[in-house]
Amino acid sequence: MPTDAKQLLEKIRTLALPQNVRIMNVCGGHERSIAMAGLRTALPKNIELIPGPGCPVCVCPEEDIYQAIQIAMNEQVILLAFGDMLRVPVNVPKAAIRTLEQAKAAGADIRPIASPSEALTIAKAHPASTVVFFVAGFETTCAPVAAMLTEGIPKNLLLLMSGRLTWPIVDRLLTSDTPAFDALIAPGHVATIMGADEWRFVVEQHHLPTAVAGFTSESLLAAIYSVLRQFIEQKMFLDNCYTQVVNAEGNRLAKQLINTTLDIVDAPWRGIGVVPQSGYELTSTLAEHNARLHFPAYADAARQRAGLMPPGCDCAKVVLGKIKPLECRIYGEPCTPRNPIGPCMVSDEGACRIWWAAGLRKEQVTQADLV
Amino acid sequence: MTKQTKRQLTDSHIALAHGNGGRYMRELIEKLFAYHLSNELLDTQSDAACLPVPSGTSEILMTTDGFTVEPLEFPGGNIGSLAVHGTVNDLAVSGATPLYLTLSAMIEEGLEVAVLDRVLESMAQACRESNVRVVAGDTKVLRRGQGGGIYFTTTGIGVKSPQLCLGLDQIQVGDVLLLSGSVGDHGTAVLLAREQFGLSGDLHSDSASVLPITQALTAISGLRFMRDPTRGGLATVAHEIAVATGNTVRLHETQIPVLDPVRAVCDMLGYDPMYLASEGRVLAVISPESAQAALERLHALGYAEASIIGSIESGVARVILATELGGERILAELEDDPLPRIC
Repeated sequence: MPTDAKQLLEKIRTLALPQNVRIMNVCGGHERSIAMAGLRTALPKNIELIPGPGCPVCVCPEEDIYQAIQIAMNEQVILLAFGDMLRVPVNVPKAAIRTLEQAKAAGADIRPIASPSEALTIAKAHPASTVVFFVAGFETTCAPVAAMLTEGIPKNLLLLMSGRLTWPIVDRLLTSDTPAFDALIAPGHVATIMGADEWRFVVEQHHLPTAVAGFTSESLLAAIYSVLRQFIEQKMFLDNCYTQVVNAEGNRLAKQLINTTLDIVDAPWRGIGVVPQSGYELTSTLAEHNARLHFPAYADAARQRAGLMPPGCDCAKVVLGKIKPLECRIYGEPCTPRNPIGPCMVSDEGACRIWWAAGLRKEQVTQADLV
Repeated sequence: MTKQTKRQLTDSHIALAHGNGGRYMRELIEKLFAYHLSNELLDTQSDAACLPVPSGTSEILMTTDGFTVEPLEFPGGNIGSLAVHGTVNDLAVSGATPLYLTLSAMIEEGLEVAVLDRVLESMAQACRESNVRVVAGDTKVLRRGQGGGIYFTTTGIGVKSPQLCLGLDQIQVGDVLLLSGSVGDHGTAVLLAREQFGLSGDLHSDSASVLPITQALTAISGLRFMRDPTRGGLATVAHEIAVATGNTVRLHETQIPVLDPVRAVCDMLGYDPMYLASEGRVLAVISPESAQAALERLHALGYAEASIIGSIESGVARVILATELGGERILAELEDDPLPRIC
């Protein structure tokens, strides 16, 4: 532990805050670092750290998962998905197949993968099979997918794209009546690719203190200190506290690869609704690799409704930072990692699962000081 | 069975016939199992082993463990050495001196004989290092697809002095926790060896006998309890202590050794090293008066990373990890296998 982190903590403790300050992060990695370092317990009580929309699995539309399950169950395909995605339930009766994991157990050839390159390897190894790669992820996932598409993929590899951009959902929060935060920690990994400048709108249009952070306690505390100073002095600027890898304009090549292979489209977010210009879809030149076009029968228009979180599940509010995981009606009872009801309890990027992994339980009132 | 000086392995792969009770099976036992594991007490012709009991023995300890690791061979060990260390260590942390092992081997049809040969050689080496002997055994051959290459079960017998009282019920508030080395090496090394994540690293399993550690610690008064943090890792043992004593276990993150490559893999894949398995470490609970002496003893034995990592406090039954920053987080009971992260 660099002493810098402790020094930053001391500096934060000496700041005279005029009011409670709510600082939102929009990256599961940030939330995980915060929870694992016990940052909330170390910071003064008038600083509130809020997990926001930082989990691509959590916002992946229910109809996309449903479609993936149907393709895997009914077509002769190998379906590939990131591990987290396998256990996310769709809203169907209990007796029906509710997750990709259950579809796998029922005999569908579904394989969890950890990186896009594995999809390429598997497609090449099975040239006679149709391989469908279900891509749910933010810019950090879509950039390597774009690179793979640029290099050329075999004819038998189809993509079911459920890619999302991060900044439009933050813009949506800020233009709503209740943003529920006073400052923003911008996502370090996303900024590595897209550039810190992508977050300038938060400062310039919405006048909120903003800082890009990395994933160490030191970097997170530097960002927290920066936004608090900005808040106190009311002098907002976009601070970059992750200069080791993040610059203003990002990775030019990666952005170019994304631009040439992926279109930006209006896209639904689970439980939230359609957010304009927030999704990635394959360009028309790659139509032959588009699983949606290849298997149109499984796109169920009737499922495309907003608010499709399971009954009783407050994941949508958790994702938007309106409530904390412990405030969800079903957190821990009955929703647990073993029996997840909502997607936030499934993914390692999901706030509920991170909080659960960090030992936070509703019933232990003595833990009030740990939140 | 006397050790054969010259042997020729007729077959390159295990066939169902190696489990048929006839010549093939005799050859499998003689040329592989007995070749590596023979000793004056192992008689492959008799149905039961006749074992001498050391004079003055009043307590015999017995334990059994199954081994199904995948892959069978990993950096730092293989299923053979692991099957000895696992059972020897269970006896060792109970305060016993391990003496005898039995070995039950389930081998899958199609396994390369060369793999089995290497595994048994490691097993023999591990037995010699811990001064234990395999005194009885059994082999079965499973149909192809019905087993993971090799499954081993080892049952161990050891002896213990009745004066030595160890157990969760001996732990008192104020006792301290002593850890013999870094956590999570084995779990991470096996994870990487599976190549599931396309990662590679210079990381070895810590699979080893903990007898030198437990023998050093049992000589020190004030020792209450020892356990090897295998499946579920350090957090799981700490949790067992908290539940059994009804008190809080407080751990200090900065004092818990985690190797850099283990930390890097965990950061990348979203695992928590506190929950990953070790196969050659001991977590000991000891009175505060004796803790420093015990620590120095382990350092003197070459366990340079041994560290006092926490203590037992009166309070709610839970495990609190005091983080590097002075924050706190609760280490909950492990629920399921963590999933790989997606971005």
